[in-house]
Amino acid sequence: MEQLLITIVLVALGYFFGRRAENKHIKSIIEREAVMNQLPAMAGRFPPQNGKYHQQLVSGSVVIANDYFKTFVAGLRNLFGGKITAYETLLDRARREAVLRMKQEAQSLGAELIFNVKYETSNISGQYNKRMPVIEVHAYGTALMEYSTK
Amino acid sequence: MYHNPKIPEGINSTKENPLKEFSILLLGTIALVVIVSLILGFSGSWLAGKIPFSAEVKIASMYDITQYTDSNEHPRLAQYLQSLVDKISKAQNLPEEMKITAHYMDSDTVNAFATIGGNLFIYRGLLEKVPNENTLVTLLGHEIGHVKYRHPIKSLGRGVAVAIAMTTITGSTDSQIMGDAGLLTTLQFSREMEKQADEEAMYTLQSLYGHINGGAELFRIFQNMRQEMETDEPSELFSTHPLDQHRIDNISIMAKKNNWKETGNLSPLPDFFQEEINSYLNQ
Repeated sequence: MEQLLITIVLVALGYFFGRRAENKHIKSIIEREAVMNQLPAMAGRFPPQNGKYHQQLVSGSVVIANDYFKTFVAGLRNLFGGKITAYETLLDRARREAVLRMKQEAQSLGAELIFNVKYETSNISGQYNKRMPVIEVHAYGTALMEYSTK
Repeated sequence: MYHNPKIPEGINSTKENPLKEFSILLLGTIALVVIVSLILGFSGSWLAGKIPFSAEVKIASMYDITQYTDSNEHPRLAQYLQSLVDKISKAQNLPEEMKITAHYMDSDTVNAFATIGGNLFIYRGLLEKVPNENTLVTLLGHEIGHVKYRHPIKSLGRGVAVAIAMTTITGSTDSQIMGDAGLLTTLQFSREMEKQADEEAMYTLQSLYGHINGGAELFRIFQNMRQEMETDEPSELFSTHPLDQHRIDNISIMAKKNNWKETGNLSPLPDFFQEEINSYLNQ
């Protein structure tokens, strides 16, 4: 009985605070993306070869923790199968935040373009599967800066 | 110059309120758990019913019953209970190997129960309230009826099957499937089982005394006790025992159906009965 009560409280807390944090985060991501969109980032592997640019590695990483509600829903989902939408939102936020941070670094270097952008996602919650998932998303790419600006 | 397009929202994530998914999944899980426990409980109980009684006795012998009972301190009472039990076993046509053992418990608890291995536990608290032998025979007949229809082992089988299923689903390993308390805790019998045992008790009364007077008294004891404790009877939906009044009514219905006499001479309890029961007061 106590166990059940604790679980209910944790799930409720996870829902209210997790959802509030998530909505706030998504809103902030959308706002910053609108600004950062002027700095293009692309996956292409070949930079312009006209000698106008010099290159530098830029990266942005974010560590994001799951809340109890999402873990609980995902646990239930495990019984039936299907897409775990609770995690999809989480990972989407993490990837976009990582790119935003990478762009921020590039912007401070005066970059005009980031190419060869890649993502790495890793689980850093350890090997115990009972622990709540904590993930790190790392976005990195090559920033191109015009020589003349130097 | 290259420009990143604005990516539309809602491709990699959904705007849908997660509570919707949560409630669907939760309801689905609860339904799954209920269905699985019903099916497994039913099959566990059915399979356990196939266990021969000799094997049941072996399971029961894993527990040291004698350490709990006070039969040794009250040999006269224990002997009397055992003789009644043997008489009732014969009246109920129990199979040869189904040996019933009565255990006297010197405690205030108003209860008596049957458990695996044909072990009957009768508490002093209940015996104090029993007015005559006929009522005592009803009580013992009811409990022996449980053993006759293999209710304790079926109930245990159901419990074990459900426990295994729950451990598998929840993935926890710390739950005790067959704990030490398994034998001495009152096993949960279904309402159907209680009714079957009630009927068996009435048959016993009729065949031993030629009438069923004194039988309903047993349920009146429980009814009064509940009133004394001022706890309302749980509504029938949630209770496994049929309501006391229903059981009393059921006795009359059975008597009419089988043409049994509802009146008759009541046999007294032996003289030493009260003495033995009250002996704890002198200590």
